[in-house]
Amino acid sequence: MQQLFSVFGIDWHLLLAQAVNFGIVLIALWYFLYKPVLAMLERRRGIVAKGVEDAARAADALSRSDGEALSRITAADEQAEDIISAARESATREKTRLLKEAEARALAVARDAEARANEAAARQRRESEQEIARLAVLAAEKILKKHHD
Amino acid sequence: MHSGISVVLKAEQLGSVFGFPITNSLVMAWVAMAILIGFAYFFGRSLATIPGRLQAGIEWAFEGALAYMSEVLGSEVLARRFFPLVASIFLFIALINEIEFFPGVGSLGLIRASEFLPILRAPTTDLNFTLALAMIAFFTIEVTGIVMLGFFKYALKYVNLTSTVGFAVGLIELVSNLGRLVSFSFRLFGNIFAGEVLVLVAGYFVPYFLPAPLMGFEMFIGLVQALVFAMLTLFFIKLAIIAPDEAH
Repeated sequence: MQQLFSVFGIDWHLLLAQAVNFGIVLIALWYFLYKPVLAMLERRRGIVAKGVEDAARAADALSRSDGEALSRITAADEQAEDIISAARESATREKTRLLKEAEARALAVARDAEARANEAAARQRRESEQEIARLAVLAAEKILKKHHD
Repeated sequence: MHSGISVVLKAEQLGSVFGFPITNSLVMAWVAMAILIGFAYFFGRSLATIPGRLQAGIEWAFEGALAYMSEVLGSEVLARRFFPLVASIFLFIALINEIEFFPGVGSLGLIRASEFLPILRAPTTDLNFTLALAMIAFFTIEVTGIVMLGFFKYALKYVNLTSTVGFAVGLIELVSNLGRLVSFSFRLFGNIFAGEVLVLVAGYFVPYFLPAPLMGFEMFIGLVQALVFAMLTLFFIKLAIIAPDEAH
């Protein structure tokens, strides 16, 4: 065994030194390389998970706001229809009122015109009667004058 | 000093500090450590939420490794607990096996007593390094098994007195478990050392054409061996945490 150790140069000093070397490498790599890289992987995994969560939340919020927008549009449509139908009713009422008013005014104008025409005709008749009476008196005077002569 | 192929099984000693030998494989381990720790330090400081190509690639590799480990161990918590060990084994061995073929490794050296001593030698071609890693993996596996199952339940895997066959199987398990130390260390050492010798021999006999493709192949083998060491550690941890009554 001693000869084997001698041929291969096995020495406990060197064994210990190489074991310590590996121990130093292990600790240094753990501290400077593995720990930060694994922490970075963990952090990135967290960021990705948060990103996915945020995206899901954003999609949820989007679908909720879509629904809200749709309900608001529907409500606005209904309100607009109500406003239009109310305006239509109001316009119809106004039209009817204006028509009635116009008709009444036209009727009043017609009545006024008729009254004025009637009055003018009566006045004409009265004037004609006075003229006829005057002419009859003149004619009677002429006849009487002729008889006297 | 002699010319020709020089194959030395053990790492060459460059000097000593307070009785501790300093070998060329130890020096190269420090170089690899400096590169790895330096990279980790600067990379860890430059992490950004929106990653660049390098960061994205490393994060992808980490996530893939963690997912695979979770699948093998059946638990994300266990995967996260053992990820640093398995990943460090892979990165350290892979880096050493790759820089082994960089200029200067094995070619820069000192002349001492008319002998050439390379300053840098891949630690994976030094049994001290592979055995140290094997021991760390072995103790981690055993301690994990004891902590997860409890000492007596874990011991039941190896000492089974319910039947003769059970006892024999337990004994075989115990021997094969101890054999992991040898198989772990010699597999890595043998593969990388043999690759280095192969490149050396090819460089000696066919110096103009063969070494470069062989080096490329050996770099690939280096990655595979790093992966094998890390994967076997993972699988043995999995085997260690399986209760004896669930094992078959």
